[in-house]
Amino acid sequence: MKLRLVVTLLAVFGLIAAACGDSSESSGGSGGGSGGGLDIDAILGADLADCADAPSGDPIKVGMAMDFSDVVGFVDIPGSNLVPYVAELANCSGGINGRPIEVRVAEVGDDAALATAELLDWGAHFLIGPPFADFALPILQTTEGKVPLFVAASTEPTLADAAINSYLVTFDDHQMSGAAAQWALDEGITRAIVFTEGEGIPYTGVNPDAFIAAFEAGGGEVVSIQTYVWAADTDFSAQVNEIAGISENNEVVFSAALGFQVTALRGQLEGQGLDALTYIGTDALDATGIQVEANNEGIAHTPHTSISAGDRIDSLLAGYEAAKGEALESRGFMALYVDSMFVGIQGMLDCDCNDSEKIGEAVKVISGFQGLSGEITYDGTNGIPPKAVPINRIVDGEDVLVATIG
Amino acid sequence: MTELLQNLIDGLGRGSIYALLALGVAVVFGVMHLLNFAHGEMITVAGYVAFWTIGTNDWSWWLVVPLIVLSAIATSLVIERIAFSRVRGASDFTLLLTSFGVHFVVSAIFLLYVSASVKTFPRPTWVANTYSVRSLNIEVFDTVVIGVTLVTLIATTLLLQRTMFGLSLRAAAADFDTARLMGVKSDSVIRGAFALSGLLAGIAGVFWLMRAGSTTPTAGIDPMLKGVLAALIGGLGSLRGAVIGGFALGLAEVLLRSRLPDSVASLTEGVVFLLIALLFIFRPQGLITVAHAERV
Repeated sequence: MKLRLVVTLLAVFGLIAAACGDSSESSGGSGGGSGGGLDIDAILGADLADCADAPSGDPIKVGMAMDFSDVVGFVDIPGSNLVPYVAELANCSGGINGRPIEVRVAEVGDDAALATAELLDWGAHFLIGPPFADFALPILQTTEGKVPLFVAASTEPTLADAAINSYLVTFDDHQMSGAAAQWALDEGITRAIVFTEGEGIPYTGVNPDAFIAAFEAGGGEVVSIQTYVWAADTDFSAQVNEIAGISENNEVVFSAALGFQVTALRGQLEGQGLDALTYIGTDALDATGIQVEANNEGIAHTPHTSISAGDRIDSLLAGYEAAKGEALESRGFMALYVDSMFVGIQGMLDCDCNDSEKIGEAVKVISGFQGLSGEITYDGTNGIPPKAVPINRIVDGEDVLVATIG
Repeated sequence: MTELLQNLIDGLGRGSIYALLALGVAVVFGVMHLLNFAHGEMITVAGYVAFWTIGTNDWSWWLVVPLIVLSAIATSLVIERIAFSRVRGASDFTLLLTSFGVHFVVSAIFLLYVSASVKTFPRPTWVANTYSVRSLNIEVFDTVVIGVTLVTLIATTLLLQRTMFGLSLRAAAADFDTARLMGVKSDSVIRGAFALSGLLAGIAGVFWLMRAGSTTPTAGIDPMLKGVLAALIGGLGSLRGAVIGGFALGLAEVLLRSRLPDSVASLTEGVVFLLIALLFIFRPQGLITVAHAERV
């Protein structure tokens, strides 16, 4: 009896807990500041087999506090492989004004604060951090807002706060899902079915909230709001039954769900005869490989970068694969990690300093920085760069750019 | 009325998978008093088998189904051999912690040596097909799942009632020490229990993966939770209770998601857990009471 009670309590506690743009054609550099710009093209064009003299100045120290778990390891692991490679290229091309770049990666594990402290003790001039507040907030508490933090792959608006040196490198949830709504309206669609985890829930609820607000503001009508469990549900029978009763088979279906969830949902809706719906999702579809899913034709999404064969990002990733012998996953996110490093270095160049607080002051006023992922401006913002949102769609089996919003 | 019937069918389909998972949990609990939190790892491994065969090499599902089942059985036996056989006879709490450890190790292996990313593979084309009966649109998938589950449950019942292995298993579940004194070989019965548990998880895994079309290093958590939860609802150690618990859980999930008002529909999972907590308050032993001889 005791055993069963203990086991039951353990299980219940455990279970309750568980329930719970375009590539720029110019060569980079900042529009403002006193220290000159970065020649991104020269860095990316470096030939590791034929390097310039090794730079000998004081190193630029880039700290990466990264999560290698299944939570965000899908972006942080390849990101933390690519940034040191780009630093290698930069050093090969002579460094940044004669200064080498050093990159140290610290795994956040269960203690992001400890990983941050390690990087600060090492002397990191600025940090690149993982998405999601669970990781980013302990980092910010440790830096006390004095060291610039670039939350590379995040779109969470609450993580950006220029006053405490916390920056997104890409558009936020509102821009992303607002753009998705605008694209649907531009396609002539006036009715929407939205899947959410609940109003106000970071990412899985905030994106649907933003979509609904923009869609309705643009004259559209949200005819159904359905709930689901993000990253888990693949049986949408209950929701599909309800949708089948109200759909006119001409709606746009929006969610921040993962690729395999959207294709499962689509299959079930098509099984009910709803075969003329339009599907659009967020960057989660790019992260989870909607491009390689079966039954993906026509599905649209909002990647951070729309990569085409032979462009700068594609060439960089191909160069990495050739040099390191392995291809990187989550390709659409990789430019954000590289830009996190570049924009931090640009802050150092602009202030011509090594002091993290002064670097932060310089980053705050960066304007028109032509990064690998597009133009980045922090001046006049709260740390969220107003970037254009690419809309990609699977057309004839290819993931192609069909629009750019903003 | 039509929607309610539709929900009941959907709930039975979902509950069938939970019932198979719960039965596997209950079989092992019966002989070892082990609430196996590593039960989902059989589906994690099976998921990567599906990814490597269907996802990357375009194998047919028909070829892969037996591989998935075999991989689940093999994983169950390997886990028993490497982990649980070392702590046999230890306290129940030690066994519980060991099962948590196995779960974390298996996840970490796939995380380190495969990828943290979601790996996808095509679902069978018929999974989303439906057919109509009067005003009902019934998924072929649900029909197949319910049918296969019923056949599996009947076969399992026959195995337990009509074979020497079944007799040994039931004897061990009732009183392991006395069963040993009566000549039941503990190694054989425990391995047999893990093999049967793996077989049931493998069958459930086939349907789980057909629906999911994807896997991750932690893909086993959700099926493990459902299986353990259903076994708890039914009454730990009761095979009949596990099946009832599985169906009850599946029906509760579908009906709550469908019937709760839109404003609180996102609380579906929370309401399910609340109901289960209430059940445990009034019937801590679950729906079915099982008499066990306690090992001392």
